[in-house]
Amino acid sequence: MMHTAAARLMGCECCGWAGEVATDESARCPRCDQPLEHPRKIGLQRTWALLAASAVFLVPANLMSMMSTVKTLRATPHTLIGGIVELWTDGAWVLAILVFVASIVVPLLKIVALSLLAWSVDHAPQWRQLERSRLYRLVEAVGHWSMLDVYVVVLLVGMVRFGNVASAIPGPGLLAFAAVVVLTMLATHQFDPRWIWQDPDGKLRPLARAGLPRSA
Amino acid sequence: MSEQAPDTRESGRALPAPRITKANRFRFSLVWLVPIVAIMIGASLLIRNYLETGPRIEIEFNTAEGLEAGKTEVRFKEVAVGRVEKVVLREDHKRVVAMVRLDRSAATMAREDTQFWVVRPRIGTAGISGLGTLLSGAYIGVDEGVSEVERIRFAGLESPPFILRGEPGSSFALVASDLGSLDVGSPIYYRRSKVGRVVGYSLDPKQDELTVKIFVDAPYNQLVTPQTRFWNASGVDLTLNANGLTLDTQTLSSVLAGGVAFDRLPSAAPQAAAADGSRFMLFNDRKSALAPPDGEPVQARMVFDQSIRGLAVDAPVDFLGVEIGKVHTITLQRDVRRRRFPVEVIVDLYPLRLGSLRDALLGAPVGGDATQVPTEATDPVRTKGTLAIQRLVAQGLKAQMRAGNLLTGQLYIALDFFNGDTEPKSKVSKAAVKESGNASNGKSLSRRERRERREERASRVADKLAEQAAANGIITLPTVAGTLSEIQPQLAQIVEKLSRIPFDTIGRDVQSAVGKADQAITRLTPQALKAVAELQATLAKAQASIDHLDRNVLAENSSVQIQAGQTLAEVQRAAQALRVLADYLQRNPQSLIRGKPADEPLSTGRGIRPAIREPAAAPNPAGRSGQSTTGPAAAAPSGPQR
Repeated sequence: MMHTAAARLMGCECCGWAGEVATDESARCPRCDQPLEHPRKIGLQRTWALLAASAVFLVPANLMSMMSTVKTLRATPHTLIGGIVELWTDGAWVLAILVFVASIVVPLLKIVALSLLAWSVDHAPQWRQLERSRLYRLVEAVGHWSMLDVYVVVLLVGMVRFGNVASAIPGPGLLAFAAVVVLTMLATHQFDPRWIWQDPDGKLRPLARAGLPRSA
Repeated sequence: MSEQAPDTRESGRALPAPRITKANRFRFSLVWLVPIVAIMIGASLLIRNYLETGPRIEIEFNTAEGLEAGKTEVRFKEVAVGRVEKVVLREDHKRVVAMVRLDRSAATMAREDTQFWVVRPRIGTAGISGLGTLLSGAYIGVDEGVSEVERIRFAGLESPPFILRGEPGSSFALVASDLGSLDVGSPIYYRRSKVGRVVGYSLDPKQDELTVKIFVDAPYNQLVTPQTRFWNASGVDLTLNANGLTLDTQTLSSVLAGGVAFDRLPSAAPQAAAADGSRFMLFNDRKSALAPPDGEPVQARMVFDQSIRGLAVDAPVDFLGVEIGKVHTITLQRDVRRRRFPVEVIVDLYPLRLGSLRDALLGAPVGGDATQVPTEATDPVRTKGTLAIQRLVAQGLKAQMRAGNLLTGQLYIALDFFNGDTEPKSKVSKAAVKESGNASNGKSLSRRERRERREERASRVADKLAEQAAANGIITLPTVAGTLSEIQPQLAQIVEKLSRIPFDTIGRDVQSAVGKADQAITRLTPQALKAVAELQATLAKAQASIDHLDRNVLAENSSVQIQAGQTLAEVQRAAQALRVLADYLQRNPQSLIRGKPADEPLSTGRGIRPAIREPAAAPNPAGRSGQSTTGPAAAAPSGPQR
């Protein structure tokens, strides 16, 4: 409304429509009714909210048992850290490191990275925009691999069913962990990488200012 | 791609204007509900987790065998109520301490009298328990206490307690003389079905009493009444009687592992169940357990002058064939005056076994001996029993040792009436002893007197013993020498004589002789063989010689034979000549002196001349020697020379 240059060129992600939008209000595609852009304020809030929720779930995911294995009549609960320690003490260092990275480092880093991205949108809009874009892509690509743990546990629970001799029971930590992974993925999805390139007022910055190497 | 050109390429075309929707004007979007819900969920999880953890307690054990930190569970009725967090050594290194985190739900279990023990696989006489822990590993069992006082440190039991609290049933105490093969966990049987178990036993060193604690499960504890008799069901009861061979056992496992069985007396009326904790006797076998009650025994004392070999403690005492008691103790006494060592036998008599006879004895007053009846009635049953026995003694009851079993030589004591003597011997001896005791009171005592006094003192001691016994309610029974005891010394003598024969020496001698002979034979064998060979050779030679002789001497034409024949012929001729001479001399005996007359113109006169010339030769009767003496006149015609 306040903008003098009211018209912005925007494209529709769904049907490929492109055109000028003369308002700051959230616009929808005239052809397919897809919202043309995430409203930044709301989108950022969603990102933050989901990030916060996943951060909250990190605590029970790491403290509570992921899975209880019943080995010969004795149910042994395993926490994430406990399992890694067990692997490490058993000498399976590679596996331990792998599990550690995939299950603890990655979700944590994801949350940290998304927080950084979300924070920088408003507070350091000009700072290393290209690297931030790459970081976002990395986060998006890596995100769903953390579900591997959940898959493994679910597979174990489904396959190892020998009654009292050997069976696996999912624990509450597994749900929390899955929630962490899903919430971070949603948060990643809620974050629009275009915000990296926008001024706080929503305008795209010229390319040259971004210092892109290939300016052609 | 899309440049920041303000003008569009398709500006000419009428673009449909984007539809503008009203923006959500709320400052906070609903998405913030998500973290709020997350926080609530996480908080609830954590709170639940916190709420589930109860207090931490410490349990001490002798060993941490099977206990694993973080894995070993604490289970109450097989429900996990906690987990071992840490296992450490106690400060003094004597025991281990298991730090256990109890669940919140089991927090109230940490009572002062709560018991903890480690459940491990256990194989005992009572069966196999804790088999599940073979695979799963040990766990800590709990029996919840009832105390109000809470506690943090516990001393764990090394084996499971045998009664858990709240277990329905009753526990009883059995007073036993012998534990037998009973052990903790041994079963309790009622009609051969298992209804309980032995939960412990204790030996009281002060009272020398063995108490076996048993637990009878509900509802079978109703079967235990004050009339119930318990007996040790271990082992096998093999009985040979008129009915044949009877083998009585409980179950096979009780034969091996021991057990206690109970039953109520057949005669007993049904009664209310015995109170929890009642005490019972534990009998050694079913027979004695179910026998009618004997009542209190009455002790009687008897002195035997003979060897009591074959009489054992617990040997039966029978009265006219009814077993009314058993031998209690056997002690040697010293009778100085008679220089004998009599044997004092104390027996337990059960007057109740006399049955109606006892009542009859008590009812009928007996002659002069009624004065002996003790009047004080401290123990009516015992006094009555004593009285009954005393009346029998007054009627001439005497004890005699008899052979119960000729094979084994076991003796028993028979109480019987013997003809003749009806006066109790004990009274007589007592009186005599007292008399002699009062006799010598002189000041100066000779050696003999001194010895006598000593003897008397000793006999007074013996007497005092008898009096003491009487004071204790022990009846002294007169005795009669046993039938077997008269034969016994003779038998013993024979046996002794037999045993004096040095069988072993004889045996040794014979053995050594045989050995020596054997040696000699062994030594002589080669020589004998040689001798035999030589003998054979000699015989062969002898045979040859005989053959030779046969050939040279005995053959018809042998030279020896011929020469012998000639010699014999000449001897014959000489004999003829001698006969002629003898005839001549018979006819002319003077010719011995004068010789043969020469004038005879006889053809045979030649031989006379020498005889005439040498009359000295005339006395010689032998013609041959006469002729030889007339040798110088050989020229003369001597007939004999011819």
